[in-house]
Amino acid sequence: MKKYPDHISGKLHLTGASRFIGDEVPLPGMLHAKFLFAPVAHGRIKRLDVSRAASVPGIVRIVTAADVPGANQIGHVIKDEPLFPESEIMYFGQPLAMVLAEDEILAENAVKLIELDIEELEPVLDVDAADERGEWYVPERKIECGDVEKALQEAEFTLSGVTESAGQEHFYMESQRCRAVPGEGSTLTLCTATQSTMEVQEVMSHVLGLPAHHIIIDVPRLGGAFGGKERAGTLWACLAGLGAFLTKRPVQVLLTRDEDMKVTGKRHPFKSKWRVGFDARGRISVYDIELISNGGAYADLSIAILERAMFHAENACHIPNARIRGRACRTNLPSNTAFRGFGAPQGIFVIESVLEKIAEQLRLDPLEVRKINAYQTGDLAPYGQTVKECDISGLLDRLAHTSDYEGLKKEVAEFNAAHNSQKQGLGIVPVKFGISFTTALLNQASALLWIYIDGSASLTTGGVEMGQEVSTKCAIVVSRVLGIPVEKIRVESNNSQRVGNASPTAASTGSDLNGHASRIAAEKVRDHLLPVAVEMLAQHGVECHPEDICLEEGSVFSRIEPEKKTTFADLVREAYNSRVPLAAYGYYSTPGVHFDRDKGVGNPFHYYVCGCALSQVEIDLLNGEHRVLKTFIVHENGNSLSEEIDRGQIVGAFVQSAGWCTIEELPLDTKGRYLAVNPSTYKIPTVRDIPEQLEIELVPAGADYASVFGSKAVGEPPFIYGLSVWFAIQNAVRAANPVAQLRFPATPEAVLLSLNKE
Amino acid sequence: MDQTSNNMLHQARDRAYQYNRIVFWLNGERRSAEIAPAQTTLEFLQQDLHLYGTKCSCNEGDCGACTVTVASPREGRVVYEAVNSCLYNAAKLHGKHLITVEGLGTPAILHPIQKAMLNFHATQCGYCSPGFVMSLFALLATLERPNEEDILAALEGNLCRCTGYDSILKAARHLAQTTSGEDIVPQSFRAIEPLLLDFSDAPASEEKKGVPLRHCERYQTPSNLDELSEILREEPDAVFINGGTDIMVQMNVQRRQYRILIDLSSIAGLDAIASSPEGIRIGANCTYSQILAAPAVKADLPYLSDLIENIASQQIRNFATLAGNVANASPIGDTLPLLLVLGASLVLFSADGESKIPLREFFLDYRKTALRQDEIIKEIIIPIPPKGEFVSWQKAAKRKAVDISSVVSAIRLKEENGVIKTAELACGGVAVVPKLSMKFYKAMLNMELQGLHPQEISEYVASEFSPISDVRGSDQYRTQLLQNHVLTYLQDFLQGRGA
Repeated sequence: MKKYPDHISGKLHLTGASRFIGDEVPLPGMLHAKFLFAPVAHGRIKRLDVSRAASVPGIVRIVTAADVPGANQIGHVIKDEPLFPESEIMYFGQPLAMVLAEDEILAENAVKLIELDIEELEPVLDVDAADERGEWYVPERKIECGDVEKALQEAEFTLSGVTESAGQEHFYMESQRCRAVPGEGSTLTLCTATQSTMEVQEVMSHVLGLPAHHIIIDVPRLGGAFGGKERAGTLWACLAGLGAFLTKRPVQVLLTRDEDMKVTGKRHPFKSKWRVGFDARGRISVYDIELISNGGAYADLSIAILERAMFHAENACHIPNARIRGRACRTNLPSNTAFRGFGAPQGIFVIESVLEKIAEQLRLDPLEVRKINAYQTGDLAPYGQTVKECDISGLLDRLAHTSDYEGLKKEVAEFNAAHNSQKQGLGIVPVKFGISFTTALLNQASALLWIYIDGSASLTTGGVEMGQEVSTKCAIVVSRVLGIPVEKIRVESNNSQRVGNASPTAASTGSDLNGHASRIAAEKVRDHLLPVAVEMLAQHGVECHPEDICLEEGSVFSRIEPEKKTTFADLVREAYNSRVPLAAYGYYSTPGVHFDRDKGVGNPFHYYVCGCALSQVEIDLLNGEHRVLKTFIVHENGNSLSEEIDRGQIVGAFVQSAGWCTIEELPLDTKGRYLAVNPSTYKIPTVRDIPEQLEIELVPAGADYASVFGSKAVGEPPFIYGLSVWFAIQNAVRAANPVAQLRFPATPEAVLLSLNKE
Repeated sequence: MDQTSNNMLHQARDRAYQYNRIVFWLNGERRSAEIAPAQTTLEFLQQDLHLYGTKCSCNEGDCGACTVTVASPREGRVVYEAVNSCLYNAAKLHGKHLITVEGLGTPAILHPIQKAMLNFHATQCGYCSPGFVMSLFALLATLERPNEEDILAALEGNLCRCTGYDSILKAARHLAQTTSGEDIVPQSFRAIEPLLLDFSDAPASEEKKGVPLRHCERYQTPSNLDELSEILREEPDAVFINGGTDIMVQMNVQRRQYRILIDLSSIAGLDAIASSPEGIRIGANCTYSQILAAPAVKADLPYLSDLIENIASQQIRNFATLAGNVANASPIGDTLPLLLVLGASLVLFSADGESKIPLREFFLDYRKTALRQDEIIKEIIIPIPPKGEFVSWQKAAKRKAVDISSVVSAIRLKEENGVIKTAELACGGVAVVPKLSMKFYKAMLNMELQGLHPQEISEYVASEFSPISDVRGSDQYRTQLLQNHVLTYLQDFLQGRGA
């Protein structure tokens, strides 16, 4: 008997029977959309003439900025992004016109007949250039505590430097897509690959000049997203919607892999300048950091991402004097966007690099340096939040124990002494990851639960299913409250008519927020059912009160006389007959989260997820390739709703992050074009790239400050563990050449060329 | 696009196209179908049959989401092979059994593979899952108790962005330990095997009007050399493919148009691997997988087997050919340096008959070869180096598996009485063609082992080439790699000699 339920859609996925948008029979009369993408990264449109293309028989319509009935604006947080640019092209691949035809190939060929004259302008691609020009979406942000200048003067040792991390392509297996279907009047249903149903609805309604209730959003599931469909999907949804609105026919937008990788935004590359002061034990007294991100053409989510990078700038270190400044810069790249970790990995990479430098300078053990700086319960974060239930140092001890750290260190030293062409290295990274949307208002969720007459249940939440199994987890919650098996619960598509105003499924909060909302809905239904159960059991001669009733495994009984039972299905039928409501709407908002952006002070997080990882790698000095020999992860997980799901999230995040740190590279040409736009040139990890030994220890601690039933968010925090691979490679490289400067990511090329440094 | 292209667009709609009429089995059922010229199996499944379990994620054979299994006769038995349906032409299905995820199980009755993956929580978003199921199906239908390396080889061509592979591997290991071919291949599929072995219907075609995919007018599958001769004589602008794993990427992604494609893979008699006095003869239709399975290659050219294991993915190796790699003449063609140092030669076939050319005279310029428009490669002859020769190869790429080389090289060295008597080094990725190093040859020939300084030689050889910088690596990186390759070879060679 399995301890945890299966993936709620597992049987469908594995038989190819699950529904994905676009991988389904075309609707009658459906039009395919193909795009004219901007051929330059920066320019002015002088003439855009679609008449010849439009004259091709079979071309139903060509849509440009002039056809937008409402606002030509899809910006959300900051209104700076047109659906179609009217004059200024802001990035290579920006859609300028959309061709609609039943025949996809015809549409594709007609795109080539659109006449476009542009004045090419110099693109700004480099983050330094943008920063120097002050190309920021908003003025610099700051979080500060203590007295930084004084502490720097007083520090025993100081170091300063610049640390850079690179972008990353999401490579969700399912590309961006939307199927828009016109309904009666001017209503419109968008079956669209988005993590943000509310945002798509709101933006689409502005673009069409219609009230929001005319726009119905339906999301069956996503074939992966990782943040890449939190904001980036809105453009494609609105294009499809506009096409359907104008033609009164279904319109499908479905990007090819190459199109998707060419024109959609990535993880933000960050460049950070820092100063640090510390004592002889490696204890940091002061940290001054400027985090500068390359945000691309439009603001998108860059400000929130920058903010999360700032909130994680000190990671697991308690630093009494800190000044954390951040600037998100506008450049002529596709708008960089949310990607698992949402800035935190970029911020954490810097402080962990600093800790490595401190350890190196003082010849201290990198693990000890992390321990001596580690947060303890009761410490204040730089933004003033009290850190609760936090034992980073204890987790590091546990990691040292499970990995036999001392033994590994000896093993690596012996290996390195005995080998000239290969070197090994160890890398350690802890994490303290804040859970909650830092934009406090997003921390709310709803769920709608129906119990049907046969006792089966239908649950709709705002949580978009994209492989993270928010659906399974919400079903587990309902199953626990109502005492029915998960198999009796169907988790429906996200639909704005069933659950409106849904926050993005993002920031690792999907299961917390929607799980709580599901719990509340289920508890309401249960509270309706209990008095009915009391009456039913009374007919069996059982005298009890509602609080005595137990709902377990589809049975209903009093804990006083558990042998006298009725079934959940009978209870439901009786409740219906007694005219008791069998549905409920659950609403949840996270208590106590707030943040004052101007002052840089507040309690942005509901709780933290902590953990740590250690990786051992071996590099080949002659070709620069690496192997991850071992990875150990100790992860604080509270009372997990499903350890199977959580392990899957941890391994998946680790491997994705290790890819970011090593082989995933986004070369860009001087014109602002991404050169690696397909999997033959952009390499994500394969089955051969995972650690040869991978041990994960889930620690059930941390449940006091956690979420639904003491569980904790798990989507993003483990992404940080992948950094241990980068640090391990750096240490292996340094074993060969102590002055080697390894760049990010640690591709074979980067490793090989770093060895030549003198 | 100008007015002419506009007109072309109009005319395309009324042109006649040659559709392939094929007979095949789909998930246990005999079917016939008309295949638009150059339509891929994936397009056929989704657009014509409305089967959407097989997914399109990259459309260029690099992600495995579209993996299907094809059962076909070979040497008197039926083999089950995973292929990327996005590159596998549907016309190739004639006389074969196409097995897709829909054919294995239903949500109510799962196939053992699906059940194991469910139990190990080996699916998350689900988009890649059908591809993994089909790769595992082909593996377990082929091998009893596959080992870890077999599993990795079978799955390296399937990308998953969610799981980090751990759960999938656990399911695969469990299946490898607990199932046998009988559990994996349903009886209804086994029952088709004799029909596949007996199948002899000639492929047919039919002219139709309309706008087919990508403006390919005809996709022809000659079944013998006589038919081919006729085509070679009469179709000067035909393009020849075998597996089609390169041309189909060009058509899918770059949208290149080929008016007439000639698929050579059904030509009888070109799929033999035989030992001969001249060496091992490998027919043009031999796929990488067939070469890997050939005992003669494993015994006499073990380094070629090793190299092929490091090319592409299982799904690609199952229909890509060595001859295709040669004809394609990519400067980073993985097998080319090794074939060059081994002194391989090619048997070319045209309507006028056969001719032979040493491989080292074959590559003329960037993707230009000595192959005439009316010629094909019929056979590759690889001499077996005498015992005691040192032969090795190295491939450097960003990723361990399923990646295209930044630099690929091979070496052959022979020493007699302390003096180097054979010195061949060939490299790919450092010039417009795969190339033998002249400097290496000159410097090494007749050199005494005692005077051999690997570091000096490697620097000297690297100075011969001026590689370019591109998406797969900078010139500096490539030069360093080449130098390190040579250094590694020479150190290994000396070590083997006890020097």
